[in-house]
Amino acid sequence: MVGSLSVLGAGLAFGIGAIGPAIGIGMIGAKTIESMARQPEMAGKLQATMFIALGMTEAIALLGFVLAFVLMGA
Amino acid sequence: MDNMGKMVEELLHELSVQPLFSKHIGTFTLTNYSFFLLIAFVLTVVFFLVGSRRLSLVPKGIGNVVEWAVSFVRDGLCIDMLGSEDGRKYFPFVGTIFFFVLFNDVLGLIPGAKPGTGTLGTTFTWGAIVFLVYNGIGIKKSGFVRYIKSFVPSGTPVVLMPLMFLLEIVSHFLRPLTLGIRLYANMYAGHIMLGIFAILVTISLESLSVGSAVTGGLAFVMHVIMYGFEFFVAGLQAYIFSILTTVYINGALHATEH
Repeated sequence: MVGSLSVLGAGLAFGIGAIGPAIGIGMIGAKTIESMARQPEMAGKLQATMFIALGMTEAIALLGFVLAFVLMGA
Repeated sequence: MDNMGKMVEELLHELSVQPLFSKHIGTFTLTNYSFFLLIAFVLTVVFFLVGSRRLSLVPKGIGNVVEWAVSFVRDGLCIDMLGSEDGRKYFPFVGTIFFFVLFNDVLGLIPGAKPGTGTLGTTFTWGAIVFLVYNGIGIKKSGFVRYIKSFVPSGTPVVLMPLMFLLEIVSHFLRPLTLGIRLYANMYAGHIMLGIFAILVTISLESLSVGSAVTGGLAFVMHVIMYGFEFFVAGLQAYIFSILTTVYINGALHATEH
């Protein structure tokens, strides 16, 4: 019982934890495209900054990923 | 469908770290992952040695590829983020990280091979190295006391100072952690996903019906698409790991300026 509940908890931890970062990554992409369309000459710099922001947002989702593994082990 | 669970278990077992030989040298042993780490190391060395054998103004063949890759990292990453002087100074470090991650990620996509970056041990080690290096750069640049003081921005109310300091310390220690987890999770999850699609194709081959043919065909197409996507992820992870390194170095260099 505890085993199956911890698997359920792991799935929920990653699933719910991924909602916020997913919205964040979508917003980063949308705003970058918007800025690129406005100022195409800045595209290179915007892309580099986008990847930095992407990496930081992604890290939050990955904390949920690790938490899921911790819960599965418990 | 009955043996899907067994297949998934087999896949997870295949992706786990296992020693290749039962013999140990002290506490060290060659695992399936560290074996491919060594292969990636040899490949990287050979690639760059062959590429830089005959240096000329207009490179040909593999020399051209090496020059393009190196100038991409040096100009596009280091000099762009750190400026001309510091960019050249820290390019060897950032370039090493970039090509280490890239070669290991791409090598892991060859069927049967493992990505050397697919274990937490390897990625956390690189995270720790980056952590030590960028803090070392910051301390060397502005002195230990001034570097620590720069964690709290000037003009902060005295009441908030301990809180700001604590938050900054936590965020600094989260950096190597997220660097390691990001790379590991991307490699591990990517390989599990490829494995799941492969399992779906195998299962649908077991029974002959229209439904299983459609499912298997779709899974096969997705598998091929995802395989291509993993190459993109390999390059992207190398790029993100090294660009975050330059961002951290840049922050440490200019910590005391404002």
